[in-house]
Amino acid sequence: MKTIACLIIGTLLAIDARAQQDPGKAVVGEVEVRVYFATNSEPADTGVKAAAVPEDEATRLRKEERLRFAHYRLLGEDHQALYRSYENWAEPLKPSDEVMVRFEAQSEPIAGSALLDLELWLARKKTIKTDARLEEGKPLLVLGPEWRGGRLIIAVSFTRAKGTQP
Amino acid sequence: MNTNPDDTTLALWLDDELEGDELSRVEAWAAEHPEQLAAREEVRRWRRMISASIPAAEEPPAAEFFNERIQHAIRESTHASGHAHRIARTWSHLWMPLAACAGMVLAFWLGMSTHQKTVEITNHGNPDATLPNLYTPLQGVEAESFTSASAAATVIVLTGIDAIPDSVDFSATAASQRWREIDSTAGNAPTAEP
Repeated sequence: MKTIACLIIGTLLAIDARAQQDPGKAVVGEVEVRVYFATNSEPADTGVKAAAVPEDEATRLRKEERLRFAHYRLLGEDHQALYRSYENWAEPLKPSDEVMVRFEAQSEPIAGSALLDLELWLARKKTIKTDARLEEGKPLLVLGPEWRGGRLIIAVSFTRAKGTQP
Repeated sequence: MNTNPDDTTLALWLDDELEGDELSRVEAWAAEHPEQLAAREEVRRWRRMISASIPAAEEPPAAEFFNERIQHAIRESTHASGHAHRIARTWSHLWMPLAACAGMVLAFWLGMSTHQKTVEITNHGNPDATLPNLYTPLQGVEAESFTSASAAATVIVLTGIDAIPDSVDFSATAASQRWREIDSTAGNAPTAEP
């Protein structure tokens, strides 16, 4: 009995070690996805109870005419690892799957910039497929669907992995 | 009653090929025709002469000779085809490198042509190479991308997308939960709007 247990444990450890050795699972960065609710109405009137976004983010959004609204609320956010050769998903509105982002590195990020194969899924349907190059501090902003008299804005940002060259 | 044999029967009688009643009838007829008997005798004499000068059956060639003839024929055939094969192989030695070079040049040219076409397609309607290529699989949905210098961001504007029903509630998200915790704490109001 002890022999069988040792064999099972040994096999599991070997599988785990092999998974850890997979260079494709190396984390080369982080992708942050935020979903803002942008509206010109009073947020209280829309029934949305969410925190207002920080001032610097609201200012950035207002600077672009197409994204200019009176109020911004942060509905949800998610941070996920960017793997060297595996895809990953962000679900900023979890537990809802109304907004999901699938991303995968097309190459190793260099100089604070990452070329991603990126998909935006809305209402469980693939809505956009793109090959965006994301730079640190320069997000991808998607003016998305209407909701409660406002619009959803999906912000996708990239941050390089700790310990990598800037 | 006509008892004269016909020509075929007479020829068979001359060759001693007749038997039975037919032979008896012709023999009876020939007894009255001595010239026919003499003719038959002449035929028999010639037959004996031929049999005496020519063996009854030719001996088959010796097995070794027979096999040697076959092998010789095979060698001749192999030699002829081998010669032709050597000639073809000589030409193939000359043509193979040329064909390989031609193939490489063609593949390179096709690759260059395809690459140029791809670039044309990729940049079609997208003069800014830094902008992402967009694909919107949903019918009626369009996406426009541009670089916003003021917002320091790349912006994609979706049009034609279905609105999310107002009944959908995102209050269970982590961000909303955090806001509730802050909201429920005395003196910690959410970040004020500018």
